[in-house]
Amino acid sequence: MAHTDTHDDHYHPPGLQHQFEDMKQQEESVSIGMWAFLVQEIMFFGGLFTVYLVFRSRYPMAFAAGSNHLDAFLGGLNTLVLIVSSLTMALTVYYAQKGNRNMQVILIIATMLFGCVFLGVKAVEYTDKFNHGLVPVNGLNRKIKGEEHNESNQTSAERPSTQTELASQEKNSLESPKPAEHHANPRGEFQWTGENFEASREIILEACNKNYLTKYEQIGYFSNGDCKTGVIDQHKVQDKVRIFYWIYFVMTGLHALHMIVGLGLMTWLLIMAWRKTYSAEYYSPVEISGLYWHFVDIVWIFLFPLLYLLGRHFLAGGH
Amino acid sequence: MAEHHDTEHTEAHKEHMGIPGYLAVFGVLVVGTIVTYLVALTDLDSKLFPGANTLVALLIAFTKMSFVIWYFMHVKWQSKMIWLSAVAGFFWMAIMFAYVMQDYLTRSTGAFGH
Repeated sequence: MAHTDTHDDHYHPPGLQHQFEDMKQQEESVSIGMWAFLVQEIMFFGGLFTVYLVFRSRYPMAFAAGSNHLDAFLGGLNTLVLIVSSLTMALTVYYAQKGNRNMQVILIIATMLFGCVFLGVKAVEYTDKFNHGLVPVNGLNRKIKGEEHNESNQTSAERPSTQTELASQEKNSLESPKPAEHHANPRGEFQWTGENFEASREIILEACNKNYLTKYEQIGYFSNGDCKTGVIDQHKVQDKVRIFYWIYFVMTGLHALHMIVGLGLMTWLLIMAWRKTYSAEYYSPVEISGLYWHFVDIVWIFLFPLLYLLGRHFLAGGH
Repeated sequence: MAEHHDTEHTEAHKEHMGIPGYLAVFGVLVVGTIVTYLVALTDLDSKLFPGANTLVALLIAFTKMSFVIWYFMHVKWQSKMIWLSAVAGFFWMAIMFAYVMQDYLTRSTGAFGH
């Protein structure tokens, strides 16, 4: 594989920086630096996965119920989109090693395109959560007026807080007035009501019948802390589902932030590739940007089953 | 390994894998995603044991991650040092999971529970 013999002491490859012995050492130093960064990224996301682990192990049924409202098709689609972008990124490195400028440019643009598709799908999903009162921060959901109080909240309802909301509000203003099936949500609170709550009650009671519910879950969902004799409490369940949505938004939000940073990297890479910077002698920036992009892909590989698919089988029958 | 001749003096230059290789890895990742999705729709918790669905999903995710790290991130062709950094990252994360969970999972049960 690697040729370590330094057959000619007087020859210096053009891309070699003076502090390194040879190209192999230089490339390894660059890679190991990037990997040190990626390892701290692993710890960074690892903290969030730990939070997920702790709360899911405590309230598995609430997590399953919350997850079932996510769109697994869109999540799966995004997984495929990211995998394709990983492929185009890997091929970018391949062509950078060959010094093929045109293929680099095409593949970097393709990678960016798939990155944007990913973020677009994410925005659609966030909008859906916003419209259904599933953003776990009170006031950040779409404000739906109740029948009786229709004037007092007029002004506050028109105040978008984030870009996603801004986009979704624009979209909503084009639509016809919302049908009555929507729950009134005048203050834009987190809501786990209606058919969402009915679906979660169903799987929680079924888990009770199978003796799956832990003591913690029974205390967490039922009025008297016992699933056999107690009544399921909508507010208690809502609080637990809300934990799931906190984790969902923080993890996917941070992941999306990484995608945006990655798109910035790609823009820079595109300009450099356009100027024919990279060749077989010097392609480290492509290599380490690729490492970053693949890392973000790996995070999503875990987020997809852990957030979108954990409760699917409860809906698929089999009980 | 066919492109070595045109860059004769770049000692460290190594072509990792041809395009068919990359496409094969890509195929594995796509199949893994589809299998994850289909398996999640089947109730393995009832058929096998509680938690089987999650276990299978995580096994597939680990397999996919291994392929990405090993081939797309070129760890296969890098020095052992880089392989070690990658493994160390996950090893420390596993320690974090283990110690946090041994606390949480043993609360409120047993003699000292409330």
